[in-house]
Amino acid sequence: MAASQPRLEKEGDDCSLLPLVHDIIKCMDKDSQDVHQELTKLKAKIQEAREQISNMPGIDSSPSEQQQQLATLREQVRTKNQLLQKYKSMCMFDVPKAS
Amino acid sequence: MATAAEKSTKERLLRALDDLEVLSRELIEMLALSRGQKLPQPGEDTQVLELLVQRDREFQELMEEAQQQGKVHQEMQLLEKEVDKRDSDIQQLQKQLKEAEHILATAVYQAKEKLKSIDKARKGSISSEEIIKYAHRISASNAVCAPLNWVPGDPRRPYPTDLEMRSGMLGHMANLPTNGVNGHLPGDALAAGRLPDVLTPHYPWQSSDVSVGMLPSSLHGNDFGLEPPATNKENEDDVEAMSTDTSSSSSDPTERERETNHQ
Repeated sequence: MAASQPRLEKEGDDCSLLPLVHDIIKCMDKDSQDVHQELTKLKAKIQEAREQISNMPGIDSSPSEQQQQLATLREQVRTKNQLLQKYKSMCMFDVPKAS
Repeated sequence: MATAAEKSTKERLLRALDDLEVLSRELIEMLALSRGQKLPQPGEDTQVLELLVQRDREFQELMEEAQQQGKVHQEMQLLEKEVDKRDSDIQQLQKQLKEAEHILATAVYQAKEKLKSIDKARKGSISSEEIIKYAHRISASNAVCAPLNWVPGDPRRPYPTDLEMRSGMLGHMANLPTNGVNGHLPGDALAAGRLPDVLTPHYPWQSSDVSVGMLPSSLHGNDFGLEPPATNKENEDDVEAMSTDTSSSSSDPTERERETNHQ
């Protein structure tokens, strides 16, 4: 978990566009020829982010809706487990005492 | 805010990304224009920059939220698999219960049929003593089983033979020996009270007290007299005459022997 958190922070930093914008502004201040290159990088970064968002699973609903769906699924599993347990352990045959 | 909460995370992310693109382009254009004109913009670029930073922060938060949703989505997939497994277990159980119900229904039906048969048998029940008495009665004449000392050649048979029939009530009713053979019993012979003389072998079921000429009363009574084994030759002749008139299918071997000797 500790190892995953720096990874999450890195991914958060990766998706930030500010460093690229900063680089562009720096190039503009220096009148560097790399401005166009930096602009291309920014566009590529934005396109990559769009593709990444399209491929991410589970974001077709809002967090609250997803939590509701999760709760429903958990309830379904619990209910079905209960039902199976009930019928497997239930003694259906009451043998009457011989009169 | 309410509308923002209903929108999916994907939609919000894409919108945030579009805003970032627009803001960053606007900022770069403003900076480029301000450098060209060499006139400082009155904080407009600062405003755009602040918006850009704010939007970038929101975008990062949304990306973290999306990652969390991805993990939840994985858990949901596992739960869905478990739900499918439980569904198949329930279906299997349902099939087994259905099969058990069918078997039990068949067994119950058969048991009910048997109970009906038992009830029916009880209603028409007969005392075992009566059945045993009846069995003794019908087997007393050796009609169901040969006597223990029976050997081939023994004249005894499990059915009434010709001699026995003639020595019975029907035979006594036929007074005329010639007509009596065919089974017709003329009334005058009956009235005359004459009995055919027949050789009757002694059988266990025959009454020991026999007398001749008791036919008129014996017709109405339960006991009737039978002649003892005859030694009279006339009777033998009558028997032989009767036996010759009958077909040769007489089952009595004694009769057959007499027929052969007579011829």
